Amino acid sequence: MELIDYAKLEEAARRIRLLVMRMCVKAKTGHVTSSFSCMEILVALYHGGILRFDTKDPKWESRDRLILSKGQASPGLYATLADFGFFPVTDLDDFAQVNGKFGVHLQNTVPGVEITSGSLGHGLGIAAGMALAARMDRKLFVTVVILGDGECHEGSIWESAQFAGHQRLNNLVAVVDRNGMASMEFTENEVSVEPLDNRWKSFGWRVLRVDGHSFEEIFEAFHGFRTRRYPQPLVIIADTVKGKGAPSMSDHPGWHGRSPQGDEEVDKMIRELEGGELYV
Amino acid sequence: MFDEKTQRKAFWSRVFELAKENRNIVVVSADQNAPVLDHNFIPWFPDRFVNVGIAEQAAVLVASGLALEGKIVFTHAITPFITLRVLEQVKMQMGVMKIPITLVGVGAGLSYLDSGPTHHALDDISAMRAIPNVQIHNISDDVMAGAFADIACQMSAPRYVRLDRRGFPDIHEPEEDFLIGVSVVRDGNDLSIIGTGNMVHRAIDIANALAEQSISVRVIDLYTFPVNAKALIAAIAGAKMVATIEEHYLSGGMGSAVLEVFADCGINVPVTRIGADPALGYTYQYGGREKLQEIFGLDKENATKVIMNAWSP
Repeated sequence: MELIDYAKLEEAARRIRLLVMRMCVKAKTGHVTSSFSCMEILVALYHGGILRFDTKDPKWESRDRLILSKGQASPGLYATLADFGFFPVTDLDDFAQVNGKFGVHLQNTVPGVEITSGSLGHGLGIAAGMALAARMDRKLFVTVVILGDGECHEGSIWESAQFAGHQRLNNLVAVVDRNGMASMEFTENEVSVEPLDNRWKSFGWRVLRVDGHSFEEIFEAFHGFRTRRYPQPLVIIADTVKGKGAPSMSDHPGWHGRSPQGDEEVDKMIRELEGGELYV
Repeated sequence: MFDEKTQRKAFWSRVFELAKENRNIVVVSADQNAPVLDHNFIPWFPDRFVNVGIAEQAAVLVASGLALEGKIVFTHAITPFITLRVLEQVKMQMGVMKIPITLVGVGAGLSYLDSGPTHHALDDISAMRAIPNVQIHNISDDVMAGAFADIACQMSAPRYVRLDRRGFPDIHEPEEDFLIGVSVVRDGNDLSIIGTGNMVHRAIDIANALAEQSISVRVIDLYTFPVNAKALIAAIAGAKMVATIEEHYLSGGMGSAVLEVFADCGINVPVTRIGADPALGYTYQYGGREKLQEIFGLDKENATKVIMNAWSP
């Protein structure tokens, strides 16, 4: 663990947030706050070396599978993949525009992206199917799926969770980006998802709860995940802040699914991202 | 029961044979069995029979994940639950992502006669037809059922195989190319009756009855949607009138699909559609399939009457 260069990861998270902000500002659309809440998770998985992959061969058979089930956070994943070299960073300039290669919700036509998503509740079941196929064929890759907390309202999440728990798919990791909010409201004001830990536990999962903006805690949660020491699938409930990095748009339902507009607003957010203290 | 001739026996027997040769074949079931699965597939390949429980959404999702990793997946449930219940999974995984899984719905039309509207499937073809990239195969006999097990293994498209609950006499030849989607099962040159699924057999009965009145009727089995327009137009060539018959609501069903093709291709032939009138809604009446067919006017007597009223050579 001491080999991890946290400063470098923090720098990457800041750099990718700026990419997300710029692409969404230019496109006048995109889920900025949903992308920011899972930014440290994405950076830990890619830049932090948790996942195995090959940027030159995105379909490499032994790669780990990363399923972004909360497909509205596509700018976060696109910018992470571009920053890592799956495709040119300049492709981000055409986000959700004429001749653009991708838009507001995730498309599997983009190098490094496994599934098309945006309709919620689908990713966990697909990931379970992939993990089951790996077990049938004795393949060693691990499947990681990132879920939204509002997404956990979907019944299909729990159909899939009970299946993965029953099958003891210990080559499957779910990360719940627990940023506290669905689209229009805080989950607990809408339909509560807590106690989230106990819900997953009762479905047969091993549960860890971490600060989703702490690289240290994310790495700790993933420690040894490839060894399959535990019989159950693992869910990491990552407590996060929706809009993390730009305090002016954080933790406010009104910012769901939109990007800052107008010079004043944009400058303010960029200043926050560039200068703010992310990890206090 | 096990010796009874049924479409699902024909279909799953073929899947079982194919699974002996191909270890990538997997069956995902939403708590739905079949005698061949119980007695053959599961004992031979317990690891390749994945039961997700009564959770059809998970069935389609898990099947999709398996297929993305190269598995050939048959996803099994009662017809309404593997179509309408999971329509948005069908749209995303099969329509948008084009993952070549095969949904197998048992219980076409009024197959689950006394189970009521929850189990009747009179609306699934029109619903599934709305999703691009999905091939719908409405099976009419055991030969076709087996053939589509083979075709599904090619993984060339997402498919929905719609099986009747009971068996019917074989009307197709094993050598037939079922990728065409349309075939003439009885020749005749006055009028053409297009049937689908079990109603192809009703059409043959009607044709035989009309032959006694010296009316020569061609019977066409239209079993794949989207319709192969060229093959359908070729099949009805020379007909002075076309009747369609389906055990399905008229709204968006097979007859609608035929009218769309005729309108789009400028085929000017009178068409009479026989099917369940959606204005009659859902039925909670009992007494067997024939009785239910009478309620919707699909019985031989009424269907013949409708065709004869429209027939004016």
